[in-house]
Amino acid sequence: MENLLTIAVLLPLAAAFLTFLFPAKKPGAIRALALFATGVSLLLTLYIFSQFNRQDAGFQFVKSIEWLPSLGVNLKFGVDGISMTLMLLVGIVSFCGALVSNEIHEREKEYYILFLALTSGISGTFCALDMFFFYFFYELAVIPMYLLIGMFGSLPAGKHGRTKEYATMKLTLYLTAGAVLALIGLLTMYFAGGRTFDMVELQQNLRLSGETQRWVFPCLLFGFGFLASLFPFHTWSPIGYAAAPTAASMMHAGVLKKLGAYGIIRLALPLLPEGARHWADLLAILCIFNVLYAGLTALTQKDWKFVIGYSSVSHMGYVMLGIATLNVIGVSGAVLLMFAHGVMAALTFSLIGFFYHQTHNRDVTALSGLAKKIPFISVCMVMAAMASSGLPGFANFASEIMVFLGAWQQGSTVFRVATVCAVWGIVVTATYLLWAVRTSFFGPFDEKWAMLKDAVTFKQRFPYVLLLLVLLTVGFWPRLLTDIIKPSVERIVSTQSVILSEAKNLSPSEKRPETIETLRFAQGDKVESVVKQ
Amino acid sequence: MNLYAIQLETLLVILGVTTLLADAFRPVEDRRKLGLIVGTLVGVLFLYSFSLKPVEDTLFHGMYRLDAFALFFKRLFLLATAMVLVMGAEFSKRIEAGVAEFYALILFCATGMLLIASVNDFILLFVTLELVTITFYILASYLRRQIPSLEAGTKYLILGALSSGFTVYGIAYVFGTTGTTNFDTLAAGLRQTGIPNGAFTFGMLLVLTGLGFKIASVPFQIWVPDVYQGAPTPVTAFLAVGSKAAGFALLLRVLYAGLLPVQETWAILLVVLAAATLVYGNLGALSQRNIKRMLGYSSIGHAGYLLMGVAAVNALGAGAVLFYLGQYAFTNLCAFIVIVAVTNVTGSDEIPSFAGLGKRAPILGLALFLAMASLAGVPPLSGFFGKFQLFAAVIERAATDGRYYVLAAIGAAAVVVSLYFYFNVARAIYIQEPEDSTAIPVTLPVRVTLVVCMVAMIGLGIYQRPLVEMAVTAASGFGLK
Repeated sequence: MENLLTIAVLLPLAAAFLTFLFPAKKPGAIRALALFATGVSLLLTLYIFSQFNRQDAGFQFVKSIEWLPSLGVNLKFGVDGISMTLMLLVGIVSFCGALVSNEIHEREKEYYILFLALTSGISGTFCALDMFFFYFFYELAVIPMYLLIGMFGSLPAGKHGRTKEYATMKLTLYLTAGAVLALIGLLTMYFAGGRTFDMVELQQNLRLSGETQRWVFPCLLFGFGFLASLFPFHTWSPIGYAAAPTAASMMHAGVLKKLGAYGIIRLALPLLPEGARHWADLLAILCIFNVLYAGLTALTQKDWKFVIGYSSVSHMGYVMLGIATLNVIGVSGAVLLMFAHGVMAALTFSLIGFFYHQTHNRDVTALSGLAKKIPFISVCMVMAAMASSGLPGFANFASEIMVFLGAWQQGSTVFRVATVCAVWGIVVTATYLLWAVRTSFFGPFDEKWAMLKDAVTFKQRFPYVLLLLVLLTVGFWPRLLTDIIKPSVERIVSTQSVILSEAKNLSPSEKRPETIETLRFAQGDKVESVVKQ
Repeated sequence: MNLYAIQLETLLVILGVTTLLADAFRPVEDRRKLGLIVGTLVGVLFLYSFSLKPVEDTLFHGMYRLDAFALFFKRLFLLATAMVLVMGAEFSKRIEAGVAEFYALILFCATGMLLIASVNDFILLFVTLELVTITFYILASYLRRQIPSLEAGTKYLILGALSSGFTVYGIAYVFGTTGTTNFDTLAAGLRQTGIPNGAFTFGMLLVLTGLGFKIASVPFQIWVPDVYQGAPTPVTAFLAVGSKAAGFALLLRVLYAGLLPVQETWAILLVVLAAATLVYGNLGALSQRNIKRMLGYSSIGHAGYLLMGVAAVNALGAGAVLFYLGQYAFTNLCAFIVIVAVTNVTGSDEIPSFAGLGKRAPILGLALFLAMASLAGVPPLSGFFGKFQLFAAVIERAATDGRYYVLAAIGAAAVVVSLYFYFNVARAIYIQEPEDSTAIPVTLPVRVTLVVCMVAMIGLGIYQRPLVEMAVTAASGFGLK
C-alpha cells in the first residue's frame, strides 16, 4: 500500500527515462507509454483514495527511505486529506493532458519526456513529507516548463513584440526567484527545528520565536506566492499560459500553480502561526487586488488564453483569501477551490487548444459563431464558463462559498471588505467570460471558420467529458472531498493553536480550534437544493 | 612512507617524460592517439588512487600531508586531468606544433595540483603554486599565431607574476612575525597568543591576494574573461576546473588548518569578498555572446558561491565546498568538451553558433543543456544540491550572526540572475533553429566522456550520498563544528 503511492508519484518519471531510450522515430509507442504511465498513475491514485481512511487526519500510506543521513534527508512520501485531494487533481489533469497532446506532431520524444517529468515533479511535491524533497520536486518543474513552452509553445499576438521565448524566460525567472526566497525560510526552519527536514517532526520540534516567525513567514508566503501568482508577482502567469502548448497550460494553470498555495498551507501555516497572524491582513488586501485587478485586466484582453490566464490569477485570489482566514472553513474552501479551479482551468485550456489547433487564431473578436461548426466544444466551453463564474452545481460554487464564509467569519474589517470585494469579483468573472463566449461561439457565423471540425468520436470527447464530470460530481457532492480535507485542515489549525498556546505558556487543551458548524452549509443536500431551484 | 605519499605525483612525472619521449619515435599523425592513451592512463591512475590510504602524520618534516582531504583533491585533479587530455586530443589538430609537449605540460601542471592538495607549509605552498601557474602561462598562449591566445598568455603572466610576488612577500611577513612557515605550528601559536601584530595581518592579506587570484575572486578577477576566451579550450577547462579547485584547496588549508583560531578576524572579510564576487560574476555574464567568455564570468560567479561555503566556517560549509568542487568538475568539463566538439566543426564559439545544437547533434545538445542547467543549479542535477548545501551552511551560520542572511540573500539573487544567461544557451540549443542544419560528428572518446559527465551530473543530483560522504570525511580533518 505504501509503495503504491511512491509508484504513483514516480511512475511518470520512470516512463520519462524509458522514453529517453526509445527511438524518436516511433512517436506512436512513445505516446502510448505516456498515456499508460499517466493512466496507471491516475488509477493508483484513485485506488489510494478509495482506501483512504477518512477518520484519520494525519498522514497515511507513509513510506520513508533513508537518503542522506549526514543532513537528515529522507525520501518520505505520504498523504493527508489535503495532499490526497491535490494528488487526484494531478492524476486527472495529467491524464487528460496526455490525451489532448495528440496535437503535437514534431519532436514527440522530447515533448513526452518533459511532460512526464513535469507530472512526477508536481505529484512529488504534493506527497513529499521531507522539506528537502519537497523543494527538490518543486524546483524540478523548472526545466520541463521552460522547454515545453520554448520548444512547443506559440505566442501569435505578443504585445510589444514579446515572443514565447520572453514568456518562458520570465516564467522561469519568477519561479526560481520565489523558490530561492522560500529556500532561505525553509533552511532557517531546518536549523531551528534541530536539523530535520521531516515535516511531521518539525511540527513537534519547531518553536520559533514570534519575532523570527514574523520574518520567516513572508519568505515562505511570497516565495510560494510567486508561483501561486499572488499580486503583484503574477505578471509572469498570463503570458506564460498564453505561450504554452495546450497540455502545458493545463498542467500549469491546473496544478503547478497550486504548488504555491499548497506550500503555504503545508509549511507556513502550521509551523509559523504567529507569523501567519501577523501577515494575514496584508495577504487579504493583496487578494483583493488579485481578484479585482486581475479580473478587470481580463476584461480588456482579446486573446482567449490571456482572458483565461488573468481569470486564473483572479481565482487564485480566492484561494489565497481562503488561506488568509486561517480558520477551518476558509482553508478547507481554499483547498477545495484549488481542486475545482484546477479541473476547470484544465478544461478551459484544453478546449481553447482544441479550436486553436485548427484555427491558429484565438482572438476572441476574430472568432465568431463557432457554435455552428463545433457544437460539442461550445457546450463544454459554456459549462466551463459557468463553472468558472461559480454557478451552483459545479465544484467551484461549493468551494467559493466556503471561502466567503470563512473570510466573513474571520470577522475583522479587512476581511469583511475583502469578502465583499471577492463576491463582487464573481460579477467581473461572469462579465468577461460571458462576453468572450458570446462573441466567439455565438453571433453571426464567419465563413472563414467553415473548415472547423468538432470532436465527434468518443476518443476525442473523452478528456473534456471526464473533466466536466469531475466538476459536476464534486459540485453536487462536495463531501466526497471536504470530508477528507476538513480533518486535515483542523489538524493544521490545532497545531497552530498548540504552538501559539505553548508560546503563551497555556496548556494546549485550553485552546481548541473553532468549530466548523458553518461548513455544513456548503455541503451535501443544501447545495443540491440550491441547484434544484 | 614518504615515497608512498608522493607515488601519484611521481607516476605523473614519469608519464609526462615518457610522453615527450614517445613523441620522438612516433609519426605526427599519431598525436591524437597519443593524447587519448595518456588520458586513459591518467584515468587508470585515478582509479588506482582509490587504493591509497590516508596517512595520519605529516611527512617531509611537517610540510606534506596525505590526509583524506589531500586524497579527495588528488582524485579530483586526476579525474579532471584525464578528461582535459581527452579534450586536448580532440583539440590537437588545431595546435600547430608541440602537441606532445602540450600533453606533457598538462601532466606537469597536474603534478603541481596534486602536490597542492597536500600542502602544509607556506614554502611548499609557494613552490607548488608556481609550478602550476608557470605551466599555465605557457599553456594559455599555446596557439601562438592567434592574437587572443597570446593576449591571454600575457595577461595571465603579468597578473600571475604580480600575485605571486604578493604571496611570497606576504609569506616573508608571516615568517618574520611568527618564526614559522608550518600551518600546524602557526595554528598552535595563534591559539595561544592570538594575532601577534599588524604586520602578521598584513602578510596574511598578501597571501590571500595570491590565492584570490587563483580562485578568481573579486578584486583579483580582471584577467578571467580574457584568458578564458583566448586560451585554447582544453586549457580554459583546466583553468576552470583544476586551477580553481587547487586555489580552494590552498585557501581551505591556510584558513582552516592555519588561521582557524583567529577566524573572527577574517570570516567577515570573506563574506564581503563572496558577496562582491557573486555580484560581479553573475552580472558580468549577462551580456556575453561568446560562450567561453560567458563561462569565464560564470566561473567568477561560482567562486562567489564557493566562498559562501568557506565564509560560513562550519563543517557543513567545508563539506559543501568539496562537494561543489567535485560536481563542478564534471559539469564544467562537460560544457567545455561540447564546446571543443562544436568549434572543431563550426570554428566559432559565439553562443548563436550553438543554435539548433539539439537537432544537429542530440548528444552534444543534451550534454551542454544539462551542464548549463547544473551550473544554474536546477534539479535533478548535481549543481542544485551543491548550491543547496552551500546555502544551508550560510543559513546555519546566520543563526548566530545575522549578517550572513545578507550574504544568503545576495546568493539567492545571483541564482536567479544566473538562470537568465545559462538558459539563454539552452534557448539556443533547443528553441532556436540552426542556420546550417548539417549534423555534427561526435567521436567515440568525446561520446564516452560526455556520457560519464552526464551520468555523474544526474547521478550526483539525485543520489548525492557517495560524494557527500567522501566530502564530509575529507573535511572532517579540520575539526570544524
